[in-house]
Amino acid sequence: MIDGAAVHVPALFYIFAGLALFYFLYNFRRAFAARIGRPETRRIRPWEVITNALYYGVAQRKVTSRHFGYASLMHLLLAWGFMELLFATSVDFLVERGLFLELLPRKDTPWFAALNELGGLALLLGSLLALARRHTSARPAALPHNSFAGRGSLLGDSGILIVLILLVVGGFLAESARLSIEAPAAAWASFVAYAVSLTLSSQTWQSLQPWLWWSHAALALGLIALLPQTKLFHSIIGIVNVALTNRAEHGMLRPMNIAAHMENPDAAPDDLVLGVGQVEDFTTKQLLDAEACTECARCTSVCPAHAVGSPLSPMKIVLAMRHNLYAQTMGDRVAAPLIGELISTEELWACTTCRACMEECPVIIDHIPAIIDMRRFLVLSEGQPPRDAATSLEKTTQQGNPWGFPRDNRLKWALDAGLDVPVMADKREVDVLYWVGCAGAYDPRNQEVARAMVAIFQAANVDFAVLGTEERCTGDSARRMGEEYVYETLANQNIATLANYRFNRIVTTCPHCLQTLGRDYRQLGTTWQVTHHSDYIQELIDQGRLVLDGQLTGTVTYHDACYLGRHNGIYESPRNVVARTLGPEGKLVEMPLSRSQSFCCGAGGGNMWYEVSKGERINLNRFDQAVATGAQTVVTACSFCMIMMDDARKVRGEEERVQVKDIAELIADSLA
Amino acid sequence: MNICVLLKQVPDQGSVFTIDSDETWVQEDNLVFTTNESDNYALEEALLMKASKGGEVVVCTLGPDRASQTLKDALAKGADRALFLRDDAFDRLDSLGAARAFAAALRDDSFDLILCGLQADDTGEGQLGPMLAEQLSLPHVTLVVQTELLDGCIKIKQELEGGWFRHLEADLPALLTIQSGINKPRYASLKGIMAMKRKEIKQVSAADLSLTTGDLTPHQILKRLYVPAKTKETQFLEGSPDEVVAQLVEKLANEAKVL
Repeated sequence: MIDGAAVHVPALFYIFAGLALFYFLYNFRRAFAARIGRPETRRIRPWEVITNALYYGVAQRKVTSRHFGYASLMHLLLAWGFMELLFATSVDFLVERGLFLELLPRKDTPWFAALNELGGLALLLGSLLALARRHTSARPAALPHNSFAGRGSLLGDSGILIVLILLVVGGFLAESARLSIEAPAAAWASFVAYAVSLTLSSQTWQSLQPWLWWSHAALALGLIALLPQTKLFHSIIGIVNVALTNRAEHGMLRPMNIAAHMENPDAAPDDLVLGVGQVEDFTTKQLLDAEACTECARCTSVCPAHAVGSPLSPMKIVLAMRHNLYAQTMGDRVAAPLIGELISTEELWACTTCRACMEECPVIIDHIPAIIDMRRFLVLSEGQPPRDAATSLEKTTQQGNPWGFPRDNRLKWALDAGLDVPVMADKREVDVLYWVGCAGAYDPRNQEVARAMVAIFQAANVDFAVLGTEERCTGDSARRMGEEYVYETLANQNIATLANYRFNRIVTTCPHCLQTLGRDYRQLGTTWQVTHHSDYIQELIDQGRLVLDGQLTGTVTYHDACYLGRHNGIYESPRNVVARTLGPEGKLVEMPLSRSQSFCCGAGGGNMWYEVSKGERINLNRFDQAVATGAQTVVTACSFCMIMMDDARKVRGEEERVQVKDIAELIADSLA
Repeated sequence: MNICVLLKQVPDQGSVFTIDSDETWVQEDNLVFTTNESDNYALEEALLMKASKGGEVVVCTLGPDRASQTLKDALAKGADRALFLRDDAFDRLDSLGAARAFAAALRDDSFDLILCGLQADDTGEGQLGPMLAEQLSLPHVTLVVQTELLDGCIKIKQELEGGWFRHLEADLPALLTIQSGINKPRYASLKGIMAMKRKEIKQVSAADLSLTTGDLTPHQILKRLYVPAKTKETQFLEGSPDEVVAQLVEKLANEAKVL
């Protein structure tokens, strides 16, 4: 808001503006620091760039979150106020220059004047709310805070807010002076500045006017000059980052094509970059992610590993990446080693890849792939997975399942129960290939789920079969532990096995198998339709192929699995399925953290197979949340969640009072 | 410091075992094979010694073609080269025959140390190490749970029965059999696996080692392999609590032999 019509804008101002712009551009070079990364393989689509910028940037759709109501409102006021004033200033600038006069409103066009007042008020209120959030007891524990300096940003967290407040107040005062001196007919439309202008005499405003105008101009130019060095840099780099996001691949791990390296006789192992050991091993987009971080701490606030006291903080990981990146490219600090010093291996291994951080990140940072890329370095390059993880990986390689149970026993769950389950080797062609998964095949609790699923297939007369001893682990845990070689090997084995058979689709009871078979394997060229049993059972019900007589009583709560919900967007079918099993005495209640805000069971990302994390176990925390709803039945739709919730039930001594059931078991129990 | 580590490929303990029709071995068709557990610890101990003292780690095995995987795994973890004793004449050797074959293969190499696992998970004899040491006239220590290399000798902590330990010092060259748990065996990195492909696996036959049929003739014959029959017997002890306790103690000590 350079409201300078009363005095013609002096030439001196343009000299200062030029200097400010030059300094801005000089500091803006940091935006290009990300170029030291490896070329990005994810495609950027022009149309998506525009929609992303509008949807996530202008409309702030990832800023608004049920989890962070106060902060959402605060930021909407700040951002929209800021954008409005930027718009107003741009219009004023063009009008000054005599450009587009027939299209643009004037300063005293009533709606424009009123809109600008609202913009100023929004920015003022947003800044005050932000200051209050940081300086009262309401400040979230995870929110980093330096009042006036720190973490490489000028002015700190509070300083920049104070500058914004001074800027808005100065703008209002300069406008008041202008209104008082020019006395335009529609002065009332600038309702704030007009009210203020009435408090002093016209002569007083006249004498104050140059001071007010110049101080406002100086502050505005100073802010522009320094912007890339302050926290406000996110208003540029954040929008650039969301704009350049490939939404379909957001959260997906980048393929490594290890088979190609293995077959290349000239490959020199020592020259190969396997995963990320140094910051320049990240892709340019991953580094741009790090640059875009606004340090809002939403990721860390919702991180289940962080909540139970493990050393992991997703934000700290991203900031460590940025610290190392700027240290190398901007030369302003000494570059401490990325892994081992800035980021500990304990932090990397504590991540359950639950995606809560990514769900909340307003600038769409891709935390999980970054963490897995660093695990890939630890495993593929350094050979250092956690000890128990190594054991499970070796067992997976040997027996095709992470427990190391005999691979010949993979169909024992059915045979021992006397179930006549058809196998693909006999049938060759079916409608539904039921992917049992390692847990369904070997874990006693999940074996019951697999048997319930068979009962459902039979009740609905589904033409189905299983792979039996031909099935191997899909490699979900291996992949998320950074062991891409084991993952690729398993994937290629499974793909080769399935190539021998014909089926319309794969149905699985495990969201981790759903993720690998349905999405990860597509990177290797598969096109199968893969359906989670929650969706499949819903279909059977909708088609009238299951006759149900639901009699479930008591209070029931459903726990959203991370790989079903956040990773694959399936929230409603499992709830609908549960609802169909309730009798008149049964009711389904929600935990406070449900659907996209669900709290991990603790087993994802390979954490099923090792324990590094200090602090409370995540599954106990989640089980307590479930029990706090008063539920007697905790429902899961995931093999790992089942194991973790059932284990927590025993640890908490709730075996008598609480049961843990998969949706398939509830349906099997309800078959009429 | 040049170290040779003997490795044996054995069926994975998670396998489903079926006894062969002639009742002298198990059916191998569906078995999953892996490196013998304590051999992994021997390999790791050698790799740690190499890391601190330099030199070369050579891995050596005897077995059918499939056993080359065990050598590859060891090379991927950082062993420098491999020696593969491969000959149909080596099938079903007893420990003495195997010791003679290894002795013939290793005699001319001047290893400072030969390490093997404590015993093989399949036959569980624990004989090969000491027999090989005798063949090569080397001092040997079994059940090693800690090592410390000094100049020309090695300090060893040996596990005895009943929670006892013994501290020994052996002149080099020597042969040690390593107990599981002495270290934390490493995980083969992909870089290691790729580097493995360029490492040498030298295959040698009985003829290459000038071994005669007489050298390899088993002196120990496996007569019959069987799964022990499970029996269940219930006894009711009667009398006053004191009498029952006395009877129980007597039975636990003399019949069940658990006290």
